[in-house]
Amino acid sequence: MNELYLFLLMVIPLAAAGVVALGPAGREKSVSMAAMLLCGVITLLLLLAFDWTRAATMQFEASVAWLPRLGLSLSVGVDSVALLLIALTALLGPICVACSYTAITERVRTYYAWLLVLQSAMFGVFAARDLVLFYIAFEFTLVPMYVLIALYGSTNRKKAATKFFLYTFTGSMIALAGLVYVAWHAAEMRKGWSFDIATLELAARTLPASAQGWVLAALLAGFAVKVPLFPLHTWLPLAHTEAPTAGSVILAGVLLKLGTYGIYRFAIPFAPAAFAEYAPAISAVCIVGILYGGLICWVQTDVKKLVAYSSVAHLGFCILGMAALNTAGLSGSIMYMINHGLSTGALFLLIGMIYERYHTRNMKELGGLAAKMPVWATFMVFFAMASVGLPGLNGFVSEFLCLIGAFQADGRWGAGSMGSGLWGSGGAAVPGATWGSLGPWYAGVAGVGMIVAAMYLLYMVGRVVFGPLVEPAGHGHEAHGSESHAAPGHGSESHAAPGHGSESRATTGHGSESRATTERVHGVLPADLNLREILTLAPLAVLCLGLGVYPTPVLEAINGPVQKTAYMVEDAVKPRLAGERAPAGVRPVFDLGGHEATNPDGTKPKEGEVIGQ
Amino acid sequence: MDSPILATTDLSSYLPIVLVVLMAVGFAMANIVLTMLLGPRRAGRTKGMTYEAGMNPVGTARKRFNVRFYLIAMVFLVFDVEIIFLYPWASTFANLAPGSDQSLVWLVRILFFLFTTVVAYLYGFRKGVFKFD
Amino acid sequence: MMERVTYLYPEIALFITTCIVMIVGLSRELKHRKLCAPISGLGLLAAGVLATGLVPGFHVATGAEVDPTAGQILLPNLVPYAKVLVAGVGILLLLLQAGTVDRVEEARIASGRAAFNPLRSNRAEYYAFFLFSLTGLMLCASADDLIWLFLALELTSLPTYIMVTMSTSRHSSQEAGVKYFFLGALGAAVFLYGFTLLYGATGSTNLNQIHHAIAAGGLSGLSLAGMLLALLGVCFKIAAVPMHFYTADVYQGAASSVSAFLAFVPKTAGFIAILLLASCAGWTHGAGDSLPDALRTVLWVIAALTMTVGNVLAIWQNSVKRILAYSSIAHSGYMLVGVVAGPGGGTFATSGIAAVLFYLLCYGVMNIGTFGVLACLEGRAGADGEPAEIESLDDLRGLCQRHPVLGWTMVICTLSLLGLPPLLGFFGKVPLFTSAISAGEIPLVVVLGLNSAIAAFYYLRIVGSCLLEKPETTTGIVRVTPFGSRPAGALASAAGVIVLAIFGNGFMAASEKAAAYDGGHVEKKEPRAAGVPETAPQALGPAKAEGH
Repeated sequence: MNELYLFLLMVIPLAAAGVVALGPAGREKSVSMAAMLLCGVITLLLLLAFDWTRAATMQFEASVAWLPRLGLSLSVGVDSVALLLIALTALLGPICVACSYTAITERVRTYYAWLLVLQSAMFGVFAARDLVLFYIAFEFTLVPMYVLIALYGSTNRKKAATKFFLYTFTGSMIALAGLVYVAWHAAEMRKGWSFDIATLELAARTLPASAQGWVLAALLAGFAVKVPLFPLHTWLPLAHTEAPTAGSVILAGVLLKLGTYGIYRFAIPFAPAAFAEYAPAISAVCIVGILYGGLICWVQTDVKKLVAYSSVAHLGFCILGMAALNTAGLSGSIMYMINHGLSTGALFLLIGMIYERYHTRNMKELGGLAAKMPVWATFMVFFAMASVGLPGLNGFVSEFLCLIGAFQADGRWGAGSMGSGLWGSGGAAVPGATWGSLGPWYAGVAGVGMIVAAMYLLYMVGRVVFGPLVEPAGHGHEAHGSESHAAPGHGSESHAAPGHGSESRATTGHGSESRATTERVHGVLPADLNLREILTLAPLAVLCLGLGVYPTPVLEAINGPVQKTAYMVEDAVKPRLAGERAPAGVRPVFDLGGHEATNPDGTKPKEGEVIGQ
Repeated sequence: MDSPILATTDLSSYLPIVLVVLMAVGFAMANIVLTMLLGPRRAGRTKGMTYEAGMNPVGTARKRFNVRFYLIAMVFLVFDVEIIFLYPWASTFANLAPGSDQSLVWLVRILFFLFTTVVAYLYGFRKGVFKFD
Repeated sequence: MMERVTYLYPEIALFITTCIVMIVGLSRELKHRKLCAPISGLGLLAAGVLATGLVPGFHVATGAEVDPTAGQILLPNLVPYAKVLVAGVGILLLLLQAGTVDRVEEARIASGRAAFNPLRSNRAEYYAFFLFSLTGLMLCASADDLIWLFLALELTSLPTYIMVTMSTSRHSSQEAGVKYFFLGALGAAVFLYGFTLLYGATGSTNLNQIHHAIAAGGLSGLSLAGMLLALLGVCFKIAAVPMHFYTADVYQGAASSVSAFLAFVPKTAGFIAILLLASCAGWTHGAGDSLPDALRTVLWVIAALTMTVGNVLAIWQNSVKRILAYSSIAHSGYMLVGVVAGPGGGTFATSGIAAVLFYLLCYGVMNIGTFGVLACLEGRAGADGEPAEIESLDDLRGLCQRHPVLGWTMVICTLSLLGLPPLLGFFGKVPLFTSAISAGEIPLVVVLGLNSAIAAFYYLRIVGSCLLEKPETTTGIVRVTPFGSRPAGALASAAGVIVLAIFGNGFMAASEKAAAYDGGHVEKKEPRAAGVPETAPQALGPAKAEGH
């Protein structure tokens, strides 16, 4: 029964999308909300049914043969990490629907249909236990997001959507080559094609070092674009600024996590030794991203762009923790995925609410909104603090863990052997040091990023929330009624997307000429947040606070998988460091003190695993 | 080199060909000589032309022909070539499957082949290639 | 020994259909003339059913059965797969052909302004050529001899030249037809020259004996030259670099329904020819063989160039037809990756041949979808009463809103061409990836991956035009064609793109079987059957001598 739930998670939104797209008009909001809530209920059931004592084991596993000639099957299953990310997705689903109630007024059915399709694909990514199924879901998120940005975005939406699609598609085609290479390696060993992830993980341990390097490069090409890591991030700010609010929330909340999840789930297990070897380089890139992203944020005037760039910085921390490859770093990294989804998602919601009211996100035109919108201001400050990493809120826990992880990953094996002599601290034992090749230097420089983050976010909050009240010219709430539908003929963009008439104010320059079509819905929005808006924010706020004050349950939940990964990498790296050659066969699976380790090869051959004659 | 292309036994097998060539040349020569000896001599402009049919071989080549010439040429080709295929069939029919019911199969096959000729004929007929107005 | 004619049942069925269509199409009665397309469809259906070999009394022999020693034992199981594929895709193509010719003339007759004049009617010829070309394609798959292969390739191509020319009354169609004809003749000359060199080098035109000769004596300089020229000539059929120049002009000049035909039929013929030739040159009967280095390198380069040229040039186009033409070039490049990969381990995931054969099916279906949508749309009628072809991206603006069914067909098929999972194109591309990686062609796979990414750029433009743009109100002259079978064909393709992705396993198994080598055995020096010329064994002599 429980296995069915995972399939249901994928099927329900798809079915609902069909109903929304083809069914009667006017029902789309309720149908999609119902579907999202149903998914939420199923996720709750899954969370309850999950055996948390065996968190590292895949549970609710099910497999349906699909294209056995290719070694494909529809297999699903989750460990605690995947389940938590599913929970995050399920949580953000209804919120995205709710936040679009008034923001989307044109082609509404298409909008909700695509939103539901996107939801289904995201569930698929986290639930997949088959590599190709994962890849299908991973790729298929592109289309709905492309449409959401390109149809419902602001001025530059088409460029943004195309850039988003091309960047991620290019990366993932290369990643596909890497993934297929691993599958081929497994097929060579097992004499049969299978894309079962557990099988491939086992097989990947015998990959020679050079091959691992290439596999890692290919996988990073795919996943680092999605994360996005520093030099590949340029699509993100554009996509975020142009996307509608719900799109931004999903993009920041879940889609970026597909990249980090991909690295965690594939790049590390498929190329553990290479990942360990290149960890310093990867973390260096992360740190550059953290600092660069932070500094760019500082000079932004568009609030949404600011938050978008802050994502670049934040996910730099996330990958830095992952590159530490120890328990603390990996735990922090996975916590970060969830926390970033919560707090950044909430920030985008808040910005969307402002945008719905003022049709601008320009900091120069907004100020002192606390006077006018106290509830909004409260949430804003709260989530900004969560994002900054204020102790007691969720951001702190994960950021701290990531930094601790990087700090501790200082190598009993010393610097030289990992080729990190310049940056590592030469094997000097730091307290609680684990093996690894980062060290205090990495943690220290990245720590500067925290300060930068505090600076830009507080600067933004100080400007927009506090201080003298500044509203866009002519946009005092009272004045609004007189100007609606004033000038029908404004720029070419706006009649392509009515209902988003004044998006050109989003960016800094051209404010005055296109304020004209005020949102029709503007009238129904109160000056401050209404109940619906508060209800969309409240669960996020509760979780941010809860995870900040008492993160232990989550940390314990992910401890199993994290330890498994950490040990697995250590296991893969040790013999190489010691100068041994890894034996050719499958290495014995390490035991994890009570936790059931990975399925050993050949436990239960799944359907479609063997492609014999 | 005993390549099958060059594998020839001796030149005697070419003798019939040589004979035929000689006969052809001889026939042509004989006709010319006989015409010179026996034919009447009536000089004239038309008589002096290369083609007595009236075609002037000198002058612009961009003259229009009636398109029916091509149609007739094509129909001729179709039937001519098909007839060529009948000869080998006819000459080997006796050896194909003597005395068995297979001979009926071979007969049906050539009838099928002729059927395609009929189709071609019908097609040409409907298209009006045999129509001269 | 069975008679050779027994493996030509499908072709015979098609040929009889052709004969009937030629007569029926010239009938005075409109209702009889209209029977051309249904009869052609029935003929294709019959050919397809016969090709499965399941009809009692019409056992379609395999090459090995026809002649255990000298029949077609290179890719012995290719025949049924290829013929069923041709018949199936042929039916889809047939649906698009409605109203391609005689439209204006029939309208004049219907309105009483003209009487039926057989000389002005093109319907009979058009469907006959359509069927002839498919017959040639089926014959390609049966080929076991260079001469047969040449004739089959020509029978495939020659009707297409005329179909291009007669498809519309525009000058561009005639230009396209002439261009296509002359370049096609050049291509034919090149591969015919290659065939003669192969004959000269190996002493036989029989593919199997050529295979023997090359296996015994290696690929001599002469046979290599022959093989290269043959491949180069066949590159014309598949629109691969360096013989790709005609593609965009011809596809643009022809009517969309004919462009769909061009993108599938000659390409399939060419790929079957390439597979047969490559089988002669290197793949033997064991798994894991690869081609001789020289050939492999050439094919590698052609594959990489074809993909890249096709995709890069497609980016700069504004005409949907030209985009699809260049994408057709690119897809040939993708399929050549499978040829480079070779038979591999023989399983579907490792066999490049199986990947090519499966991709031909995928490409056929999704490509017909895209061209089919174009064929469903038409612009304002010109002076001669013939409606304008739909070409530019602007014509597709807002198609999903104007004509949701056509619009979504276009979107689905285009995304499938892009290779976006979970559509059919993705499952066509995965075996190319797996087989090429199995064969160790990792750089080529990277080229393939990058090219797929480049392709995203122009496919997204099409998708964007259909899905995202608002319909143009000022230029709303794009209408749906009155011929109902065209949308049916396009829709069937779109359905195929989804359904085959879900239930494609049977087709994958079939293509794996088609790519297998296990149907025949090459036992050296078997006593030859009576009909085989005695010269064949000797023929190995000179080839051997030249090889060293």
